[in-house]
Amino acid sequence: MVMEFFRRGDSGLERIESRIISMLGDARHSFDLAANVVLSGGDPGLVAGDIRDTDDRINQTEQELRSELVVHVAVQGSTDIGTVLGYTLLIKKIERIGDQAKNILDLAFEGVSFADAPDVAELAAHHQTVSALFGEAAELLSAPDQAAIDDYRHRADELRHHFEDKLRGYMHSSEPGSEVVPRAILYRYLKRIVANLAGVLTTASEPLQHQDYFDAGQTDIDDD
Amino acid sequence: MSEGPGIGEQREMRWQVRAVVVVALIYLFLIGVSALEAGIKTMGADTQEQLFANVSNPLAGLFVGILGTVLVQSSSASTSVIVGLVASGALGVDDAVPMIMGANIGTTVTNTLVSLGSMRQTNEFRRAFAAATVHDFFNVLAVAILLPLELITGWLSDIAGWISEQLVGSAGSDWKSPVKEWVKEPVGWLSDFWEWVGAGGNGLGVLLVITGLVIVVAALTLITTNMRTLVADRMERSLNAVLGRGGGMVAMMLGLVITVAVQSSSITTSILVPMAGAGVITLRNAYPVTLGANVGTTITALLAALAASSPEALTVALVHTVFNISGILVLYTIPRVRDIPIICAETLARVAADHRSWAVAYVVGVFVVVPVAGLAILN
Repeated sequence: MVMEFFRRGDSGLERIESRIISMLGDARHSFDLAANVVLSGGDPGLVAGDIRDTDDRINQTEQELRSELVVHVAVQGSTDIGTVLGYTLLIKKIERIGDQAKNILDLAFEGVSFADAPDVAELAAHHQTVSALFGEAAELLSAPDQAAIDDYRHRADELRHHFEDKLRGYMHSSEPGSEVVPRAILYRYLKRIVANLAGVLTTASEPLQHQDYFDAGQTDIDDD
Repeated sequence: MSEGPGIGEQREMRWQVRAVVVVALIYLFLIGVSALEAGIKTMGADTQEQLFANVSNPLAGLFVGILGTVLVQSSSASTSVIVGLVASGALGVDDAVPMIMGANIGTTVTNTLVSLGSMRQTNEFRRAFAAATVHDFFNVLAVAILLPLELITGWLSDIAGWISEQLVGSAGSDWKSPVKEWVKEPVGWLSDFWEWVGAGGNGLGVLLVITGLVIVVAALTLITTNMRTLVADRMERSLNAVLGRGGGMVAMMLGLVITVAVQSSSITTSILVPMAGAGVITLRNAYPVTLGANVGTTITALLAALAASSPEALTVALVHTVFNISGILVLYTIPRVRDIPIICAETLARVAADHRSWAVAYVVGVFVVVPVAGLAILN
């Protein structure tokens, strides 16, 4: 451990950044497993252990990263304070995505399955779209490109509004509750995951005081 | 967040430039120590005797060491000055030993002041203040145990003297330090400059001493600032590696390595204080890091001794190292004894968290009132 001092390596923030990206990879893994089970009607028990372990890893990484961010400020001073505070928000968002993946798995444990549902193709397409957003977010975190980030946020915003519309539709639907409620809950989780993913990239492009808001601080997107 | 191509190379270039600057600053620091020695030597024997008559009392020496270090906020600077004084022959090794111990106590004021910054948050302050004062308690206890032993037996200066003799020759001889030769010329220029201005005799000596002091403090400050920037990423990585996993020897070695690199125990311990305040590092894990820093900071006085011409200068620098290692052996190796500074620091921190004014009173009392009052009484 002392020898670490003599080795050359990444700077503190570079290391933190790469751990955040791997945390994002873990969150995607959990999301994919949970969504696949709900969409395919598989046995949730088969993936529960993996999702639980992945979530534990995400939680552990979150705690370690918080410590590392404190160490970074203690050693480097306030130079990177904006980035450090942004990262504390960012890692919380990824941790929440892990929890939301677990919530989707809970739907499967409650017996929800869309395997034979008429809208399974639409739901599967949404799953693929959201899953791809994880990969894009990871790429944009490691190589930020403002135009691509803006485009990502725009697409995420549209997707969020689409899920919101679906959710509102189910709230006023005359279909039986057993049809409507699982879909409303799933769309609610998908919406939150997309909002959190967009929030992850916001930390890379927006001033700290406007993070979690759109329109220069006018629109709160964090808890809607 | 990641840097584009070319930025890495720029960073490497900046790193190299900074490394060259640090080497130049070390050379400047050695010139400062040598100028200090030359200045004292230029003064007459009577003046030298008058200057240092007061520190022949060990307690007075201890208080001078505390106050001098609190003033410059760096034991590296104060011990280097002591080495320069011993090298000049104006101060004996026996008189210098309590001053060195005082410098060890005085240097802890910096991280204690840092801990006062978190006063508004009770729990954070309690943790930060405990992490800062554990260093104070360790150093005060080490002095309380080892100074009387030294006064009775002279064991500390004997051990340091023996090591010094093995390295550079016996006391009283003139050691031909190669470093001394390198800095001889610039010190001569300084002397010529002040003579050209019109100074002579004691006046010239005083001006050389002042110039030496300014150079030593300025060079050390700049070395510390540059080295901190140079090794910041390494510090961060190694602290992260040790956090929560390494206590004891590993943490101690890390404290030593970081402090040798940045040439300042205050930097190392002041980094730990906000970490402890935030709860990222426990008091028991922070404690050995501060002890390593105690040993690591002695490298500067050893470096200063290279620019001196007498073995006694090296002896007094080694006293600093041997004293800190002995302190660890006495107070850290026995588990029950190891807990004493921790318990004292935790108790004081609890009281200070409940009564904030006590924390301020403690800092002012230990680092200013006690040494000033002590000196006033002894003189």
